Amino acid sequence: MRDFAAAKSEMGEYWYIRPGLEESVNGFFSAQPEADMALESQIPEKDFNQAGKGSAEVKNLLKRLGVNPGILRRVAVAAYEAEINVAAHSLGGTMMCRIYDEFIHIIFKDMGPGIADIEQAMTPGYSTADEMVRELGFGAGLGLPNIKKNSDALHIHSERGNPTLLEFLIYFMSDE
Amino acid sequence: MSKQEKEYFHALHILEDNCTGCTSCVRVCPTEAIRVRDRKAKIDSLRCVDCGNCIEACAFHAIIPRSDTLDVIHNFKYKVAIISTSYFGQFTEDVSYEVAKQALYELGFDDVQEEAMVTQFQVEMIRDYIRANRDKRPILSSNCPTVVRLIQLKYPSLLSNLFQLEAPMSILTRYLRESIKQEKGLEENEIGIFLIVPCVAHVTAVHQPEGAYKHLQDGAFSIGMIYGKVREYIKHLKNNPPKIETFPKGLMWALSGVQADLVDCEDIRALSVNGVDNVMEILSRVEDHYLDQYDFIVLRSCTNGCVGGCLNVENPFVAMSRIKKMIKEGKDKKIDVHDLIELYHAGEFDVAPLSSRPVLELDKDIKKAIVKMKKLNEILTNLPGLNCCACGSPSCYALAEDIVQGKATIEDCIVLLRRHSREEEESKQEEINSAQDKV
Repeated sequence: MRDFAAAKSEMGEYWYIRPGLEESVNGFFSAQPEADMALESQIPEKDFNQAGKGSAEVKNLLKRLGVNPGILRRVAVAAYEAEINVAAHSLGGTMMCRIYDEFIHIIFKDMGPGIADIEQAMTPGYSTADEMVRELGFGAGLGLPNIKKNSDALHIHSERGNPTLLEFLIYFMSDE
Repeated sequence: MSKQEKEYFHALHILEDNCTGCTSCVRVCPTEAIRVRDRKAKIDSLRCVDCGNCIEACAFHAIIPRSDTLDVIHNFKYKVAIISTSYFGQFTEDVSYEVAKQALYELGFDDVQEEAMVTQFQVEMIRDYIRANRDKRPILSSNCPTVVRLIQLKYPSLLSNLFQLEAPMSILTRYLRESIKQEKGLEENEIGIFLIVPCVAHVTAVHQPEGAYKHLQDGAFSIGMIYGKVREYIKHLKNNPPKIETFPKGLMWALSGVQADLVDCEDIRALSVNGVDNVMEILSRVEDHYLDQYDFIVLRSCTNGCVGGCLNVENPFVAMSRIKKMIKEGKDKKIDVHDLIELYHAGEFDVAPLSSRPVLELDKDIKKAIVKMKKLNEILTNLPGLNCCACGSPSCYALAEDIVQGKATIEDCIVLLRRHSREEEESKQEEINSAQDKV
């Protein structure tokens, strides 16, 4: 089993797992089973017309699958935030969505330039967004904290100058 | 009764004799409720939200709005008409507000009341509700029956955001029923209260109100239906304009933008959205929590609000401009809302929380839904992707969905059929050619 407190402090690595789900989440990440269904979309750099399409597609798919409306909103928010993050801060990337019957696993991979300090990026209100991004109404520094708030497990691997990987899990079981 | 068994009434029907199966209606339906099968259009009553798009799209008068016939008012001793504010935008500018209103008495009503009379009260009620429900953001207006049904169908997570009190015409109905009973000494069933409305959705809502606790209206007539008769009366009345009460400032209810401006104040930020496509886009953004900065969103399915209703006569922009002129030129009168406030505090205008209409999901069981979704995607890769509608489903995706749900087969795709028959012809031709070569 992954020592999650130790992993968290490692350089360029961030883990969050909702208490009570450690076993299931760690089991999933070590086995990496094949998904029942997959969806993939491109996120071009600074293209805010395109960004958001991928998460909208996921939302529509989950509605067809009859996912609980409250859970659906959590997936929508987390996926949209992550998509906007890739568009706003990276050189572009991809969003991969893997659906299992108990949860959804969404993976974002970009082409860099990486997050210098993940802990700092997780602080609400902290943002490195440039002028153009802010003018478009994004970059309030709530992206990563919002993703964390809405997901059951979040993993980020990032170093300055390298591509970033961000992935999260959200369970379909109603927690309300 | 389970949700699935519940029958839904809709204020429109298809005249099969007129339907050519052209699929114009199939393409414009925002909830993909229409299919052409056996060359005739069919509406799925579970999915229909009464937006009226199909009525406007049909060039063959095959989709007909349903409303009550005017005769039904004679079943009642005391007949009351409540007019939607959009009515006053339907006439040329030489027809005064008073004349247009008086013409309705001539239709046979004992009393004619306006939605406009309670709109200012409604604005205060909305503000009160927004302030009392700070934990819910944004509050969504519930006056447009199409919007309410859209939320039940496609955005069920937003049901708790709906403004949970009756709309102006129903508030007025409750108030009038009580006051007429007392003043005239009549029984409840002797009073007939009817709405004159601009759209199919409001006719549907009268016959099948969502969340209503109390007896509301006894019928609904469309503006388009009474228009011819009303114009005749107007001709006679023009020379002799009556002196009756009007409520010009309240006319704003028919205009979605003006309504949002009125609710907007120091501590309440309001947004106005109209047109069914815009409404759906905004609801999706609300779902993502991206419009939480708004306290109130006015949502109207028709262009410019109720003036855009498909049972109106005048173009929505012209009607809007006329109503704005009336509001500007009219004098504000103090309306005594004392009785309304009392009824409000007594809970007379409360509505029940609404339940969702889950029609989008492929299966109740998520495991089965995933299996169906995989099958759907597989079918989709085989379909031509032209979205030509020739199969009678609105898109290739919808056809794939219909096939998975057992409501259609792959043979319904005419493009694939043509491709297959051409391939067959070609292979036959090759056989013949090679046979001839041998000879």
